[in-house]
Amino acid sequence: MARLLDLGMDKLTNMILDMAELSEKAVTTAIQAYTEGKDMRSEVFKWSEELRFIQDEVSELAIELIARYQPVASDLRFIKSSMEITYGLSRFGRYAYDITTVLSMFGDLSKCDHSTIISMADKAKVMIRKSIDAFIKRDVEMARTLSKMDDEVDNMYKEYVKRIIESKGSNLRCSVSATLILRYLERIADHANSIGDKVIYIITGESNPRR
Amino acid sequence: MIDKIEAKGLNAWYNSNHAVKNVSLRIKSNQITAVIGPSGCGKSTLIRCFNRMHELVPGARVSGEVLLDGEDIYADFIDPVDIRRKVGMVFQKPNPFPTMSVFDNVATGLRLNGTKDRKKVSEMVEKSLKMVALWDQVKDRLHESGASLSGGQQQRLCIARALAVEPEVLLLDEPCSALDPNSTSKIEELIVNLKENYTIVIVTHNMQQAARVSDFTAFMYLGEIIEYGETARIFKYPKEELTERYITGRFG
Repeated sequence: MARLLDLGMDKLTNMILDMAELSEKAVTTAIQAYTEGKDMRSEVFKWSEELRFIQDEVSELAIELIARYQPVASDLRFIKSSMEITYGLSRFGRYAYDITTVLSMFGDLSKCDHSTIISMADKAKVMIRKSIDAFIKRDVEMARTLSKMDDEVDNMYKEYVKRIIESKGSNLRCSVSATLILRYLERIADHANSIGDKVIYIITGESNPRR
Repeated sequence: MIDKIEAKGLNAWYNSNHAVKNVSLRIKSNQITAVIGPSGCGKSTLIRCFNRMHELVPGARVSGEVLLDGEDIYADFIDPVDIRRKVGMVFQKPNPFPTMSVFDNVATGLRLNGTKDRKKVSEMVEKSLKMVALWDQVKDRLHESGASLSGGQQQRLCIARALAVEPEVLLLDEPCSALDPNSTSKIEELIVNLKENYTIVIVTHNMQQAARVSDFTAFMYLGEIIEYGETARIFKYPKEELTERYITGRFG
């Protein structure tokens, strides 16, 4: 027989999976909109708001489960982490929306070089996928690979900024817009990494695996 | 932290039933240690070995050592009555002596231990009743029957009775299981306050109670200690799969 707490925890898992799907779609759409020069602000904004809404619901349910069942050990670690993981997922949505606003702020960017953004976006999307898969499969090893990828993304961002500072006569419209987008992607990668940390915490109880 | 009680290779039987199996455990001085585990796991038997009460049951047997301040309480020259004075016990059901007054319930242990001075007895009764926060409620009815008190008050009376003979260790065997939530939280606050002066071991079915009051938790299963450690760690990150399953209610 399922424990009463399991019914609530299954519900939490389902909400996290719904958010994972939605946040992944938001980021993919935002990147595609940028490369194709399409305005997708209103769609992505809607998803981002929906993510925030579900995140609140997750918090509400998590608090209810704590109040009702006084969970301990892995149950408690899961419930605490569900709140933190959904915060990360909701940030994915928000940064996706921020990416869509760049186009309207800067106008036509079709002449800019998209290669750095595309390769960093690919990495960020892989990180999102991995953080979600690690959560679904409760895979510590997969979760641990995220911190190395996060370092790579950080370096890409820093190198890009350094390059445009040092390059003479760069196109400001291109370089500033790209810097913003790269910054959002860097934030996304960071949140994916911290979702990985929460997965490690749920399974092992290690609270700061990277320290 | 100093060890107040140390069990070394402790075994206990009821006839052929091996209730406590090779338990080694250090109970820290002035700390609260909770013993948790499913019914019949040996937790009550274990603590009854700590004040030589186990041997009072017909067919009961003990092997191994229990050191109290480093001295084996099962050594030949030790008087078990002396041990039971140093290591007091409170049980599940409040059991005040029904024919005695509130005052006499607390005073009896002192008188039996040879305290004749009436003033001294009165002082100790008052002090004990104050320690359990019962004095204000009973000071005007000290000569009424102990059984006239509410359940929670009766249990506090029993704790006062145990404290009156100035023990060093207090063993509590499910002290709140017959009490309502309000009396339970009063007893829990009392237990935490008492640790300043006493070493406390509490057996409880109520895991949340162990989590609330204790500093250390031992989880027992089928007569063995499966895991022992700081309470916060046990309830956040148990190391043993069995502990995890028991405290999260996934057992059996």
